[in-house]
Amino acid sequence: MDWIASVVNGALLGGLYGLFGLGLALVFGVMRLVNLAHGEFIVMGAFLGVGLVATLPQVPPMALAPVVALAGYGVGWVLQRGVVNGALRRGDALTPLMLTFGLSVVLRNGMVSLFGADPRAIDGGALTSAGVDVAGLRLGIYPLVVLAAAVLLFAALHWLLRHSETGRVMRATADAPEIARLMGVSPERVFARVTGLAIAFAMLAGFLLAQRTSFTPFSGAERMLVAFEVVIIGGLGSFWGALAGGVLLGIAQVVGQKFDSNAGALYAHGLFLLVLLFMPRGLAGERR
Amino acid sequence: MKHTLVVALPVGLAAALAAVLLPHLLDGGTLRLLAELLLAMGMAQMWNLLAGYTGMLSLGHQLFVAAGAYALFEATQRLGLAPAWTLPIAPIVGGLLAALLAPLLFRLRDAYFAIGLWVFAEIGALLVSKSAALGGSAGKPLDLSGVEDLEALGTLSFRLAVLVGVGLLGVVWALMRSPLGLALRTVRDNELAARSIGVDVWRVRLVAFVVSGAGCALAGAAHYMGAMFLAPDAAFDINWVVMMMFATLIGGVGTIAGPVLGVLAWFALRELFATGLGLPGGWYLIGMGLFAMAVSLYAPRGLRGVRVRRARPPRSH
Repeated sequence: MDWIASVVNGALLGGLYGLFGLGLALVFGVMRLVNLAHGEFIVMGAFLGVGLVATLPQVPPMALAPVVALAGYGVGWVLQRGVVNGALRRGDALTPLMLTFGLSVVLRNGMVSLFGADPRAIDGGALTSAGVDVAGLRLGIYPLVVLAAAVLLFAALHWLLRHSETGRVMRATADAPEIARLMGVSPERVFARVTGLAIAFAMLAGFLLAQRTSFTPFSGAERMLVAFEVVIIGGLGSFWGALAGGVLLGIAQVVGQKFDSNAGALYAHGLFLLVLLFMPRGLAGERR
Repeated sequence: MKHTLVVALPVGLAAALAAVLLPHLLDGGTLRLLAELLLAMGMAQMWNLLAGYTGMLSLGHQLFVAAGAYALFEATQRLGLAPAWTLPIAPIVGGLLAALLAPLLFRLRDAYFAIGLWVFAEIGALLVSKSAALGGSAGKPLDLSGVEDLEALGTLSFRLAVLVGVGLLGVVWALMRSPLGLALRTVRDNELAARSIGVDVWRVRLVAFVVSGAGCALAGAAHYMGAMFLAPDAAFDINWVVMMMFATLIGGVGTIAGPVLGVLAWFALRELFATGLGLPGGWYLIGMGLFAMAVSLYAPRGLRGVRVRRARPPRSH
């Protein structure tokens, strides 16, 4: 029974991991760019959450989630318009990587200087400690809510990309930015919206994770590696693959932790290794 | 060929002279700093061999630094020899590790290759931290029971650092004058064109990756031979790659002089920030990060590249 509980809890955690990967996958899908500062934005969401919860103690933390997401959208938009578009224009693969890696170093050490290196967590209030019994299993309400939110966000993004005008423009820009420009689309603006969405997902996921796991300014690298593994396990360019990848990774981590109390991350990395060995295209595969 | 000798001879002679004379002139702390500087140059050369000459960005070179250092510490302890004799084991381990990882990692491209290697570094750090035999997360000192003259160890470490630092520069330099070096740059500039003229892209990348891993492991081992203490947090630190990358960026990606100038600037700025301005270490890294961002936006070929901007064929998409 314990094992089943671990698997279920891992799957619930995996919803968050899926959100980590979603932002990375979205930016890569549209711009062929990997944002190496992705993990630092996840941690930034957590720090923003700490600040918000401290200034608005009467508001339940869950109600602050949209604020964090909106702030993330703004940060991503400014980042893309301000600097990343300039690096993309050069057209070579290394420049944007150096830019975002430099940004990750700035953000990481900036957060250390501002907030110190001590581990922190957000007190999520009554919601994080409540639980329900389902078929003899004790499940936390909070992880269930988070998984439901993750699935909802995946579905919303899917709908946005497949069925809305904005999504059509995004997909067209991803396939052929120059032809999209001929049709009157400004790829730079589309990129800014996409990065806005990606950072919104990242900061929201960071905020939600901070209510169940502690974090430090140095957690960013770890989170970015998780996001990266989610994308590779799910299959490059597949959104639903990212959710499945996140769930699998979450299960590997929580079950691994049960098996070997201080090395859950090792089992998550192990799963990544197996996928790379035996399914290099990931769960969903890449259609290229 | 004449040009080759004109450059190589003075550099080799100056290095030999420095290795022989400097230990008599300078105190231990300065020697240690110089050794660190030379080994950092060697590491940056190895990183540049991959990123600048072959077009493969790595974010996981700390794996090779640590692998070399742990190979040295283990071999020294198990064989009971002086560390100077077991040092050659480090590049062998680093090279083998690179050859072993290549079939997996080469399935990933560009950024994914870079982060994939970072994941392996993370796996290495976790495994070492769990292994009691390797000292666990607390680390372990270098076994000095095989050393006969402890007094001379500092001097020997410095001389080895000169040898390794200058030697690795020589390796890149010689490689770039060989047909293989030409093949590397062809792969970097246009993979498709390289394939069409008969370059075995996979094999060429493998050689660069193995040389880079072996060289970095050697420099890492030499660094920790001087430090005489090894712990996973420091050995697997991502800041090794931060240093290699930023130094190469500052000096000029894809040039031999780039990593040399870059490491000099890196150390000079570090001393200025920490000693001159008295700022905590974090501010130095913030400054370097901002600098790297500015360089990648306005001078992607490095500061030196601004001056010697060479014609480069357009990339195909």
